Amino acid sequence: MSTDRTLDRPWPGLRPRHWRVTVTRDRTNSAARPDARQLADDRALVEASLEGNREAFDVIVERHQRQIYQLCYRFAGNHEDASDLAQDVFIRAYRGLHSFKGQAAFSTWLYRIAVNVCLNRVGARAQKWTTLAAADQPDLREERADTKILRGERAAAVRAAIARLPKKQRAALILRVYHDLPHDEIAAIVGTSVGAVKANFFHALANLKKLLSTTS
Amino acid sequence: MKHLSRAEFVDLIESSAALSAARTLHVEQCAQCRERAEALRAVRSMARADEMPEPSPLFWDHFSARVAAELRNEPAPVAPGRWTPVPFATWAVAGAVIVLLVSTVVWRTTLHAPSPEAPARVSVPVDLAVSDPIVDDLDNDEAWAVVRAATADLVWEDAHDAGISAHPGAVENAALELNAAERIELERLLDEDMKRNGA
Repeated sequence: MSTDRTLDRPWPGLRPRHWRVTVTRDRTNSAARPDARQLADDRALVEASLEGNREAFDVIVERHQRQIYQLCYRFAGNHEDASDLAQDVFIRAYRGLHSFKGQAAFSTWLYRIAVNVCLNRVGARAQKWTTLAAADQPDLREERADTKILRGERAAAVRAAIARLPKKQRAALILRVYHDLPHDEIAAIVGTSVGAVKANFFHALANLKKLLSTTS
Repeated sequence: MKHLSRAEFVDLIESSAALSAARTLHVEQCAQCRERAEALRAVRSMARADEMPEPSPLFWDHFSARVAAELRNEPAPVAPGRWTPVPFATWAVAGAVIVLLVSTVVWRTTLHAPSPEAPARVSVPVDLAVSDPIVDDLDNDEAWAVVRAATADLVWEDAHDAGISAHPGAVENAALELNAAERIELERLLDEDMKRNGA
């Protein structure tokens, strides 16, 4: 499902004043790469927010909340903590909006804040991984009961193993596997080189294999 | 040939086309690298298979509203380099602090500074080159010869007993009155006297 929303009035202070920003909320493809129009829109939204327009930042939140929540969920492992972390990310982004220079995509900048928040907060406390509640699971009604149980157990084991990875390896794995980000963007997010990101990803997979084989 | 590096393993499991022809050939010939790449690929697929549970569709509207409500308490972010109006009170406090600092510095440098050296009461600095003739003439000075003759046999104890004595500090004051040439001469006389008395 995809919905388009056009703000029906130009934001005060936005240059040029006749700009109209179309906001696309695509809820089906959460890891969609931002296109050129979205990048330009993001910058316009940031500029409008800096001009004092709070609605512009609401649009930013609506546009990026899904990716940020998903990232936080991968780190936190449960809905409550993930939504708290995601809220913290947006508040920090709002406070530091003036430091966004526009050299990287806004989403990259936001991811950077999110990874920092998650690594700082989640690393400091034990994760509470959600048990296999029916509401949390994909629709498996068509699956056989034993397949469903096996799949659930495997997912739980994978999440638990990821939670035990060192911070940088965990960040590289989550951003690469679950967010489909290219290595260079991950490097920009975590502040390392592409080579370091690849090495972290390699070690993450190797350690994950070890941890899963130990568990099984 | 060397086995694949970590980065090359990552390239291989994500896209076999990312490797050079030589490295691809190595993978074809090296069972160890192939096996390792296969294991990494399997783990990656297993991780990918873990789908994140989707929150309720109502959650997103609730979340954005929650963030917006939280941000209402936040001051609006300010664009970099922009002049922000500062309240008058802030300027007043800043001005008062500056005035206080300046006053303190002035007060410390004037009132609490160490008093300047009391100028020696040497009336006029005498140029040694000019005063040398005076020193040379001192032995031939008739007035000074009279004083020396009169005091040649004077014993200090007798003078003291007779009530002829200096006030405390008088010697220091007298020394302060001397000019440079006179001080040099005094030093010479004292030296001679000490040598003579075997001190």
